[in-house]
Amino acid sequence: MLPAVDHPVWVRLVTGKKPVQSGKATFNMLIHSNQMSYERDQSPENVKDLITKSHSFLTKYESLFTNEIAKIFE
Amino acid sequence: MSATVRATLHSISEVQAAIAAGESLFLAGSREALSQLPRGKWVGGSICYFMADEGGLMSEDRIFVTRVPEFALGAEAVDYGPENLAQLYLDAPANGFTFVVMPAATEVLKTFAERAPEFEGFLMRPVVGWVAGVRADLIGKDSPVVVNGQTGAIFEDRCVALHVSLPDNKMADLDIVNIFESHGGDVIRFEKAGFDVTGCMINGRPANLADFLSAREVRTEFPLVGDYNGSSINVSFQKVDEVAHKVEFYAPVFPGVNYRLAKPVVDYERAFAREIAASDQEPAFACNCILNYLYGGLEGKKTGHITGPITFGEIAHQLLNQTMVRLYLRDVG
Repeated sequence: MLPAVDHPVWVRLVTGKKPVQSGKATFNMLIHSNQMSYERDQSPENVKDLITKSHSFLTKYESLFTNEIAKIFE
Repeated sequence: MSATVRATLHSISEVQAAIAAGESLFLAGSREALSQLPRGKWVGGSICYFMADEGGLMSEDRIFVTRVPEFALGAEAVDYGPENLAQLYLDAPANGFTFVVMPAATEVLKTFAERAPEFEGFLMRPVVGWVAGVRADLIGKDSPVVVNGQTGAIFEDRCVALHVSLPDNKMADLDIVNIFESHGGDVIRFEKAGFDVTGCMINGRPANLADFLSAREVRTEFPLVGDYNGSSINVSFQKVDEVAHKVEFYAPVFPGVNYRLAKPVVDYERAFAREIAASDQEPAFACNCILNYLYGGLEGKKTGHITGPITFGEIAHQLLNQTMVRLYLRDVG
């Protein structure tokens, strides 16, 4: 089960301070999309929105991205 | 039903029989072939190039058939134009995937290519498919079409989608196979998204891309490779206009992405075989790019064991170029 959205790593992930790469394009597209959005809008509201979306994505696809999730929270 | 049609090329009469038997199908064939099909649970688009069991080939009287799997809970065909394209992801099932086919060189494709990453549901709801085209010698003379088999409607300016719902123990997983990698040299960046560009930044300095490519005598059959957090996403060159100092692409470039020229690939067949060798499972669907077919001389050759339509653009969440796309349906739980 993924850590809740208030875990501090989520902020670091969506703001690019916790770089995590994968061999899977879908995961990398998510991280890239977060980076592009954060570059355009660094407001707390957008960071919160990116965390919500990333959390939802990784909750839904947890079984596909177990290695990536382990890297995020290592 | 599963014995009726497997994912490969079939005659028109075989596909007519499968539709009559009530199968849900995602089809690729010539306009003439698709026009001979009855109404039923299918969507399709025009293309006449295929990676078949016997290798790459062109056929206007056979149709590549991808069956919606029997374990799917449902499949709904819907068409979209630029005005309601954002609805594509919202209509997609909470668990499942969406097959989509878009006609080349249309506003709906441009809208999808430039804006899909902004749409609500992007990445969360897997969208996979391809861009319909025409025979290479008819480019600019004939129009690609897509067909909603449920209504019989044929479109030159809209896309059609088949939203497929999956049970909780199955999950769609999209994968790309890119035989191109960055050359590792000059970094090219763009100020805005678009299919054509003049100015850009190269290694942090303002430059004209067409002039840069001409001066370097760059082989434009190899794409620009964008770095998406370590994944290589290609953008293929359509035209370098040295008079207008403009470069046109088959997919948009985006700001915020570091692009580099691709390393040349000599043997496409071997390159695909090497990339595909590690695959653990048969994909439920795959497609590959017409540029790989043409530039790589893939007629009569194979891309590993993978079969599927050879298309004018590939879709795995977003529009891709010179890429093989694969859809896997994974067991979960």
